[in-house]
Amino acid sequence: MRKVWPNALGVVVIVFFAFPAYWMVRTAFLPTIDIQSDPPVFVPTDGTFDHFVTAVTRPGFWNYVRNSLFVTLSAVALSTITALLAAVAVARFRFRGRKAYLVLILAVQLAPFEALFIPYFLVFRQFDLLDRLPALILVYFVSILPFTIWTLRGFVAAVPAELEEAALVDGCTRWQAFLRVVLPLLGPGLVATSIFGFITAWNEYLYAFVFMRNEDHYTLPVWLATFRTAFGDDWGGAMAGSVLFTLPVLIFFLIVQRRMVGGLTAGAVKG
Amino acid sequence: MSTPTAVRPSPEVDEKPPAVRARGRREPLPYLLLVPSLIALGALFAYPVFLLFRMSFQQLGFGELVRRVTIWTGVDNYTEILGDPEFWQVVWRTVAFTAVCVALTMALGTGIGLLLVKLGRKMTIAVSISLVLAWAIPIVTATTLWQWMFDSTYGVVNFLLGTPGHDWFASGISTFGVIVIIIVWQAVPFVAFTVQAGVLTIPEEYYEAARMDGASGFRAFRAVTVPILRPILFVLAFLSTIWDFKVFTQVWAVRQGGPDGQTVTLPIYLYDVGIASSRYGLAAAGAVVMVAILAVAMVVYLRHMLRTELED
Repeated sequence: MRKVWPNALGVVVIVFFAFPAYWMVRTAFLPTIDIQSDPPVFVPTDGTFDHFVTAVTRPGFWNYVRNSLFVTLSAVALSTITALLAAVAVARFRFRGRKAYLVLILAVQLAPFEALFIPYFLVFRQFDLLDRLPALILVYFVSILPFTIWTLRGFVAAVPAELEEAALVDGCTRWQAFLRVVLPLLGPGLVATSIFGFITAWNEYLYAFVFMRNEDHYTLPVWLATFRTAFGDDWGGAMAGSVLFTLPVLIFFLIVQRRMVGGLTAGAVKG
Repeated sequence: MSTPTAVRPSPEVDEKPPAVRARGRREPLPYLLLVPSLIALGALFAYPVFLLFRMSFQQLGFGELVRRVTIWTGVDNYTEILGDPEFWQVVWRTVAFTAVCVALTMALGTGIGLLLVKLGRKMTIAVSISLVLAWAIPIVTATTLWQWMFDSTYGVVNFLLGTPGHDWFASGISTFGVIVIIIVWQAVPFVAFTVQAGVLTIPEEYYEAARMDGASGFRAFRAVTVPILRPILFVLAFLSTIWDFKVFTQVWAVRQGGPDGQTVTLPIYLYDVGIASSRYGLAAAGAVVMVAILAVAMVVYLRHMLRTELED
């Protein structure tokens, strides 16, 4: 009986945090006539894929998917490669300026990129990159870079140095030791870190909205945010679009949660 | 542009790397490995920051840009923007908005974090799943979704509250209310999980010791849990403050600062002045002021944290 109050509060918390997501999915599958019913249908008895068909057949939808994927994947690839080099340097070497570099990375992580869109706007205008997807790639690249360096550094440091030493003793060059011993063990870390970068870039709205004036260059968030004009009052279509946009993020989020629990290197130095 | 996922506990800055390969001599390799990231940060971060400061001292609008002329005007932009009552109104509005968001996020997040520890296994999983849902949903999806729930005609909120046809976006305060709900709804999970993790690191022996000394229930909570959570809560409050102060997407996507400019916060104001009205120099001065305010917040928090750590 002591647990009654905590459990009651728990139910309130569940309703507040899960209900909106439920409502989104419910609306996405509900026939328009039921969406506009009064009182609302809380537990639908029949569903439809009409809204999803509406959303994906809207002019430009697949173009926005392509833009989003292109920008996000390019930015993540650039930042992961750049960050891996830096992470190895700070996790494996002692050198002058190492601490200063780490403090710099920490500070840039807190920097308000929301205050910088005006200088970016002028720089990209000067190089004729405004309204072109590479401009977004560059901004996303640099904004996820500090966090990627910081997190990868932890993963590199977690690979026991003894493994590399053993490889060197066995006659590997440094490069071979890194490629054959460290890199495979970094797999889960690289996946997890890239996914966080992916989520950040995939969701980004401000820069995509400010820079991409030509409708052909919109990314999915910009398209979705204009739903009130894009969909009229079609909430079913808007929710179906939201579900489609959310799905990859949700799947990735669940993968990272599992992957973040390491344990791959446990036992690798035994015997 | 940061997501709450972007910060997780990491090893300390000055923790030494293993001595492998460090054989006392100066090696160029680590510096070479840092070059790509330093070039990227220099060209794509430091240079724009430098430009921001420089153009805040220039009269720079669309005309100057097209004619490629540079007109230095000293501190004119700062005099103009700091002398503008509308700017100050926006600043105070942003401060108040941030304070409300942070207070609600921290209160609810801490409460739910403590609740998670109290619940049985099944309920903990159920609550965690619902929190992860809200956390993982993209910001633009969340704003679209909550606007649908607050829709005046068919929205579920009006039905549940028995206020059919009520327009939640008719006044500034009420529009802010919706924006605050969206932000808090997405920010609480991170705080709750971090608090839960913090409480779970407390060894059971501490509570046993407290019980032996005759402290139980609320007194044990105050003597054991609160001191251990305090530094975690400060970091969370600090991060929430700098995140909420610079929020653009939620505010813009809901009503673009409307109705009637009543929900214009600093980032929206910078967009209106800088991009929409092409007064780049003036907006740059505003952005510098915004960065300065954030820097003040950082200093206050850092000093507070240092003080409390010295006390303990």
